[in-house]
Amino acid sequence: MLGTIFSFETKRWFSQPSFYIYFAVFFLIGFLVMASALGYFDAFTVTTTSNTWYNSPLAVNSLINGFSQLLNFIIPTVVGATVYRDYKYNVHSVLYSYPFSKRDYLAGKFLSGMLITVIISLAIGLAFIIASVLPFANQELMGPFRLWAFIQSYVLFVIPNIFFIGAIIFLLVTLTRNVYIGFIFVLILLVVQLIIGNLTENMDDKFIAALIDPYGEQALAYVSKYWSIEEQNVNDIPLDKAILLNRVIWVGTGILALVVAYLTFSFSQSPVNLLRKKAPERIVKDNFQSVFRINLPEVTFDFSFVQNLRTAFSLAGTEFRSIVKNWVFISIVAVLFLFVIITGYTLGEDLLGTKTYPVTWKILGGISGQFVFFGYILVFLFAGVLIQQAATYRMDLLVNSTPVPNWVMLFSKFLALTAMCVVLMLTAMVSGMLVQAYYGYYHFEPWVYMKELLGFRMLNFTILIILALFIQSLFRNYMLGFIVLIVVMMIPAGLRKIGVELPVFHFNSAPGIAYSDMNGFGSFRGYLIWKFYWLLLGSVLYGLTLLLWRRGAFSGVKDRVRTAVSRLNWPVAVPMLLCLGAFAGLGYALYYQTAVAKPFYTGQEQELRSINYEKEYKKYADTPQPRITDVKVEIAIFPKERNYNAIAYFTLVNKAGRVIDSVIVDYGKNLRSIHFDIPHKQIFNDSSLRFSIYRLERPLQPGDSLQAKIIVENERNTWLKDESPVLENGTFINNFTLFPAFGYQESSEIQDNDIRKKYGLKDRERMAEPTDMKARQNTYISSNADWISFEATVSTAEDQIAIAPGYLQKEWVENGRKYFHYKMDKPIQNFYAFNSARYDVRREKYKGVNLEIYYQKGHEYNLDRMITSLKHSLDYFMENFSPYQHRQARIVEFPRTGGSFAQSFPNTIPYSEEVGFIAWVDEDKPNAVDYPYSITAHELAHQWWAHQVIGANVKGATLMSESLSEYSSLRVLEKRYGKFQMRKFLKDALDKYLLGRAAEWKSENPLMYNENQQYIHYNKGSLVLYAISDYLGEKYFNDILKGYIQDVAFQEPPYTTSLEFVDHIRRATPDSLQYLITDMFETITLYNNKVDKVTSKKLPDGKYQVDIEFKVAKYRTDKKGKRVYEDATGKTLSEGTGKKDLKSLPLADYIEVGIFGEKKKKGNYEYDNEIYLKRYKINKISNKVSVIVNEKPVEVGVDPYNKLIDTDSNDNRRGI
Amino acid sequence: MRLSIQNLSKTYKNGVKALDDVSLEIGAGMFGLLGPNGAGKSTLMRTVATLQKPDSGGISFGEIDVLKDQLSLRKVLGYLPQEFGVYPNFSAEDLLDYFARLKGVGLKADRQKLIREVLEITNLWEVRKKSVSGYSGGMKQRFGIAQLLLNNPKLIIVDEPTAGLDPAERHRFLNVLREIGANHTVIFSTHIVDDVRELCHEIGILNGGKILFRGTPGEGETALKGKIWMRIIEREDVEVFMKNFKVLSSNYNPDNTLNIRVYSEEQPNETFVPATPSLEDVYFVALKNDTI
Repeated sequence: MLGTIFSFETKRWFSQPSFYIYFAVFFLIGFLVMASALGYFDAFTVTTTSNTWYNSPLAVNSLINGFSQLLNFIIPTVVGATVYRDYKYNVHSVLYSYPFSKRDYLAGKFLSGMLITVIISLAIGLAFIIASVLPFANQELMGPFRLWAFIQSYVLFVIPNIFFIGAIIFLLVTLTRNVYIGFIFVLILLVVQLIIGNLTENMDDKFIAALIDPYGEQALAYVSKYWSIEEQNVNDIPLDKAILLNRVIWVGTGILALVVAYLTFSFSQSPVNLLRKKAPERIVKDNFQSVFRINLPEVTFDFSFVQNLRTAFSLAGTEFRSIVKNWVFISIVAVLFLFVIITGYTLGEDLLGTKTYPVTWKILGGISGQFVFFGYILVFLFAGVLIQQAATYRMDLLVNSTPVPNWVMLFSKFLALTAMCVVLMLTAMVSGMLVQAYYGYYHFEPWVYMKELLGFRMLNFTILIILALFIQSLFRNYMLGFIVLIVVMMIPAGLRKIGVELPVFHFNSAPGIAYSDMNGFGSFRGYLIWKFYWLLLGSVLYGLTLLLWRRGAFSGVKDRVRTAVSRLNWPVAVPMLLCLGAFAGLGYALYYQTAVAKPFYTGQEQELRSINYEKEYKKYADTPQPRITDVKVEIAIFPKERNYNAIAYFTLVNKAGRVIDSVIVDYGKNLRSIHFDIPHKQIFNDSSLRFSIYRLERPLQPGDSLQAKIIVENERNTWLKDESPVLENGTFINNFTLFPAFGYQESSEIQDNDIRKKYGLKDRERMAEPTDMKARQNTYISSNADWISFEATVSTAEDQIAIAPGYLQKEWVENGRKYFHYKMDKPIQNFYAFNSARYDVRREKYKGVNLEIYYQKGHEYNLDRMITSLKHSLDYFMENFSPYQHRQARIVEFPRTGGSFAQSFPNTIPYSEEVGFIAWVDEDKPNAVDYPYSITAHELAHQWWAHQVIGANVKGATLMSESLSEYSSLRVLEKRYGKFQMRKFLKDALDKYLLGRAAEWKSENPLMYNENQQYIHYNKGSLVLYAISDYLGEKYFNDILKGYIQDVAFQEPPYTTSLEFVDHIRRATPDSLQYLITDMFETITLYNNKVDKVTSKKLPDGKYQVDIEFKVAKYRTDKKGKRVYEDATGKTLSEGTGKKDLKSLPLADYIEVGIFGEKKKKGNYEYDNEIYLKRYKINKISNKVSVIVNEKPVEVGVDPYNKLIDTDSNDNRRGI
Repeated sequence: MRLSIQNLSKTYKNGVKALDDVSLEIGAGMFGLLGPNGAGKSTLMRTVATLQKPDSGGISFGEIDVLKDQLSLRKVLGYLPQEFGVYPNFSAEDLLDYFARLKGVGLKADRQKLIREVLEITNLWEVRKKSVSGYSGGMKQRFGIAQLLLNNPKLIIVDEPTAGLDPAERHRFLNVLREIGANHTVIFSTHIVDDVRELCHEIGILNGGKILFRGTPGEGETALKGKIWMRIIEREDVEVFMKNFKVLSSNYNPDNTLNIRVYSEEQPNETFVPATPSLEDVYFVALKNDTI
């Protein structure tokens, strides 16, 4: 019987159109995604390149599993509804009297549902395979084809996931006879993933997270997240403990669900009711009287428009109540609410373990995305549910024969869905404020919540509601409508992938909305205009929905269209035509603004522009240009109008040693004019690539100078968009945005060698070699200047303060505008910026230096902390490095919409409101870094490491700026807080470095050859410099730095390089530690350290003997992460044989071994209690030490503070 | 007001001709539409009730062109489909309020009066707070009548409403219908001849999408006068009689013999005795003539 039921069910599916629709949908989307990833559309789009292969097991798995989220939505209908269907069509009353067993029935049903789902899921894999073997695929993006990659993914993840999700849904739907419950389960799974991700984000060891993630993605990430590029390409999905355990847990859960389904299912008529039954009641009917007279009371029947409108609202009320009583809605809102509370728990813990204050935008940023996502799902679903509601309950004939007009029915559904979204948004608002209140943060900003949630978000929802009603009204199966809607939502992304990049063609596109405490929502008219544009299209769709409204039966598509045409009367046609006309008109206007009024470049066109630039003008790369020596700027900022204009007077000097006869100007859109004081003529101008050449009538002799007067002004703001970077409050513009550059700009070249090859350009690296003497003529910051003198007059609105580097000479008011005159007294880098906002100011004087913070009122939280950090940093840097070259240090806040970073200009540090200002520092928490303190120290350190010592524009330059600033700030931080903040900081740096190299798009370089790679110069840099200073001694190492500064500070070209810097260290390093230089600076070397076994015994004298067995191994990798175990002479260490084979580079390394006692308590927190720490010289892989300690040991570690780079830092410590 | 149906035809996608050039004139009072299952009754009813479009033909009710001006017809229409469901967890009172709104009763007080009255007519007042989805078959049909009455309809269409009702329910139901039918146009479809006999002064017999008979029950019976014959036969002779005579019906007697009624212009043979024509005979003769 099992076979019969199974084959009957399966055949039934094969005759269903929905099966083929699902299969086709997954196949098509899979194919398009893979096709675009494999460069099918390179003829229309940017060239697709990648460092990793798209058909490696890891990549295939992540793509396929990405789709399975979508696949889950069909499981309730395919697997869940298989038994339910028998009830729905009332087959069960017949079926259950047939002679088959419960087991056969359930197993047959479940297995066929499983099989169908798996077949549909195979559409994705099939699509990938076909896309990868067709000749359009760019073979360079793939490794050799391996079917095995697909099989792994299906066997380990896709099929087990379908099994356990299917089993649970099968159980739920079979017992309750309610397909909704299955659907709810899928949605809850989505939220659960978010919650797990959120809860475990800050866990040190994510093993638990790996086990509890139902999809197994966390388990795979646990094992593979630090894989290098090479490993990502060639490794199979490992059958690691975490992955296997995870699979066992979840497949087990599935089996359990099936067992429960089997035990609880019975061939009965009534479903299991989750709620308690009401007490039974005997009902006897009395129908023996008869009726002989019918006198209906006189009532007024009102069919006026106003009455219809009232009916629409009252129907909407009924429909709205049916939504909020629906379990899908209730569950989602409840789960979202829970999500907010749980997110609230880790809210803002996104930087080094320290929370931020729960400011409104942060809360909104954390939750509104989820609410909007689930809002979409609810809209898509309930649009269908409401449209089909009457038919679902077979009440449609009654309803449809009443004299209520179609528009009332449609409008009521629109209203009900709108109300549903409002409820959702209000839930977001209330739960957000609850979280704020929970943290004792009572600065509620309901107006910000309302503007974002009930304003911008609701506008967006309105458009989607209309779309959903339109699509759902076309189908009678709302799950099908739901899937179609999801596919429709993917169309814009698809269009972009095939090169249709103009937003006017992307449904519901609009510029983003971002809030900043300083600048509010900024100028958002663009958002409103775009949404209005889509709303016009929505109105047309709304009209179409009305025309196509199903009332009674249609005998096919033709009949439906005919009916629609016959319904087209003036009251419908005129508004529809008007909206269509307005849509087309506004569409053209938007098109005109984005693509005609100024050029619009697609990604591919931008690529071509870079290529053309290089091909056309590379020939001028060696043409000598005069260099800027003096800058005077007069800039006027108009915050209200969001405009600026500026005049710059540059003094340019011929330092080339040769005659210069022409000046090459590489300019921006804002250039209005440029004049030189030597007679000149423009002999070339490319107004598209904005590249021009001026011939000087009197050539510039070596050492001679030239004055340039440059006038710039922002492009005019349009009705649609602000073109200038000026903000109403919080402008921040730097000189590179404002002024043209001189000469050919190598930084504009495309760096990706695959793209270069396509266009016939030679390979290039991101930066020149440190030995390249030509490149050493420039610093890595400016190619036009060495050291300059600087002066600026900045004007702004009367209520704002404007800031530029330098010392304030004078401030005055003129014509209702405020003027500030700044002047620098020492030469600086050609690197400056202008800020303007309504600032409050904190000032203090310390050791002759004016410390100032320009901040947004309300952001006072960490001002003291920043001032303290400035003081401590000044002390440390002046003592250990060199004197401070300025008499002031200013921190200037700028809006988060401008970025979330701080940047050090000469004696002026623009600092984003998002980092530091709102940090909520808990100084005692061992796993959290006081980052306002450390970032301030880092930025001040740049006044030495960038503004005194500046590397040449060659590989490794940022070692002497970013890495040394990180090192400097770490030392200042350590001085204040001790070791515990170090450990968190270093662990975080290690994590970011390892993740960074896994995402490298070109090649990983050793630290001293890094090409401005952030994960190397910040993260690896801080680890390495901290470690080497630890090995050499802090003072000793700082003396090396001091010597280096003396040698190179404020130098003229050729500028210093990492070779010189590392030489300084090398010279001062003893022979026994020279290996550190090779490992840490010159190569990419990683350790694999691990404690194997530890025992301790109490000795008679009360001391403890601790025996530790541990392994030390290290290896090098090439630029793609391929491991090498042989040193330069071909020697290698190895131990064990076969599977347990361990290899290492030859060792003569000093490795720390530490022993820790009971944790020390301080307040609510526990701290490491180090009772023993010593460096051992290690020369083999397996090691054993025996140590006597005074205190009771509880934990030991090899390299316990993670000072060395190790992909698995958790096994460095082990409890006793 | 008269309902006038002209040359209505409808063929479904699967090739079934549900209505084949049907023309009918129906005046005030009860009109019974008789026909076997699948005769096209529901198609005709749904078409008149504006829920379906014919392929060709026209329908008018008084001044209203039903196919063009559906909304006007719906204002005066009361329709009870053959089968219907209701939203779960709605009490009769709430659901009637819902329908009253749909039917344009704008004032709350009006709706309350109306609902009270229709609940009393259909004897559902006592159970007005109970959820309709939990009603028994008869109660649900009565609820159907209650909602139908809300707009004081001029044209009432009830599609096989008595199927599955117990005798008392059926009786009561027919009484309500009769009362309504007194001054409105009521079309009442059924395959149960007794329903029609008790209720309708005019009938139509529909089969295979065609009207086979149109008139009063009396006219039908008179036309058959002297043409209906009956006798008792043995069970084993059935096949022979079936073959040789136009057998209209056959019923078992308790002794396992059969009563058969036969249509014939003259006495088939001496074993047959004349019988008084009944409405059932009219029905079967119409069907029989059509199939031969």
